[in-house]
Amino acid sequence: MSTAMFGTLIVSVPLLMRGVWITLLLTASAAVLATAFGFVIASVQLFGGFALRALAEVYLYIVRGVPLLVLLFAMYYALPYAGINVDPMLGGALVIGLYFAAFMADVFRGAVLAVAQGQWEAGRSIGLRTPRIFSDIILPQAIRVTGPPYINTLVMLVKGTSLVSIIGLADVTFVGRQIVERTLAPFQIFGGVAFIYFVICFVLSRCGAYLERRTSYVH
Amino acid sequence: MPFDFTLIGRTVPVLAQGLYLTLALSALAIALSALWGLPVVLGLMSRFRAVTVGTRTYVEIVRNTPVLVQMYFIFFGSSIAGYPLSGFTAGLIALTLQNGAYIAEIYRAGIQSISKRQTEAGLAIGLTPGAAFRIVILPQALRKVLPPLANQGVVIIKDTALVATLSVAELTFQARLLADRTAAVYEIFLTLALFYIAITSAFAACMRLLEWRLRVVQ
Repeated sequence: MSTAMFGTLIVSVPLLMRGVWITLLLTASAAVLATAFGFVIASVQLFGGFALRALAEVYLYIVRGVPLLVLLFAMYYALPYAGINVDPMLGGALVIGLYFAAFMADVFRGAVLAVAQGQWEAGRSIGLRTPRIFSDIILPQAIRVTGPPYINTLVMLVKGTSLVSIIGLADVTFVGRQIVERTLAPFQIFGGVAFIYFVICFVLSRCGAYLERRTSYVH
Repeated sequence: MPFDFTLIGRTVPVLAQGLYLTLALSALAIALSALWGLPVVLGLMSRFRAVTVGTRTYVEIVRNTPVLVQMYFIFFGSSIAGYPLSGFTAGLIALTLQNGAYIAEIYRAGIQSISKRQTEAGLAIGLTPGAAFRIVILPQALRKVLPPLANQGVVIIKDTALVATLSVAELTFQARLLADRTAAVYEIFLTLALFYIAITSAFAACMRLLEWRLRVVQ
């Protein structure tokens, strides 16, 4: 690889790294929020009363039908008019987290439903109450099948954070676009940006594979 | 700022101007992704290692990078390379490359979910391997593939909003213009969201109808 071919990319690395920091920060905070809120939604769907379940379904229906970009725009345009001045970083993390929480809820709910019904009955027959059955019997088994779809959703979340560049947050995509406007080297720069995302997602997948090995039964 | 329902009535015609482009891009992207998934799944399941590795590399690259960055790469890259593509075309190519890879995985899971004995049974009654695949495996795999394909279609429809950043005057672009001009942000973005919910719901309903028509009556 000659430096001439990748010259623009190499001198842009320090700038891009500032964007990477924002991307990682956004990813981490949105991931925590999506996991926590996804868990809440899944619990409501599985154990909630009628009203709560209906509310959860409406929420999921909206999130599944509306693009993330539209929700980000809505946050970006509407909140200032409502007199709420939210930090764009916080707002972005909030919208992305709440959006992917819907997909996380599917992952968690699916995992709990994947545990055989007989396990509930077995727990009941030895005299355990529902919370105990859930925490001691169902949850440990559900966690084992959560790994791969959970990581897939996290990868989607990492990719989704790139949309904050459109509402002006200086993440790695935003920085890349600014550099391209000045240097006119789209292949190098966007290639480099794509490579950065690839590394983040690839590391996540590897961690997922490791966790899967650690939590799976030894046959 | 109070919510004004009459503004929704005035927003709808403006957004409807962008509806055609969103629908056209969605339909083309879904059709092309479903087609492009076919050679990709053949590559993934190929007997030749070089082909499998090459296809797998492509799938991993597009699945682990944001479609927005791919759009920028194609859109800005094509104009530097001297063959400027329109935002619509660049968006269509990026959506097809990305979702074709996801759809290929859906096809693969569908084909592999059909028991090997089905192929063996086909061979036993004298079908050639090709005919066994076409007559025995494919119709069964097709039914399994429809529900996840419908989900991917909804993802594609939602992702068409991204071409608004390439100045394609589709729904989201129109809404943003209108919001900049009128500041009636609540009404505009609510209407926009309803447009997308209507499109994705209609698409999902069509796919469920198709599933129902193709079901096996037992």
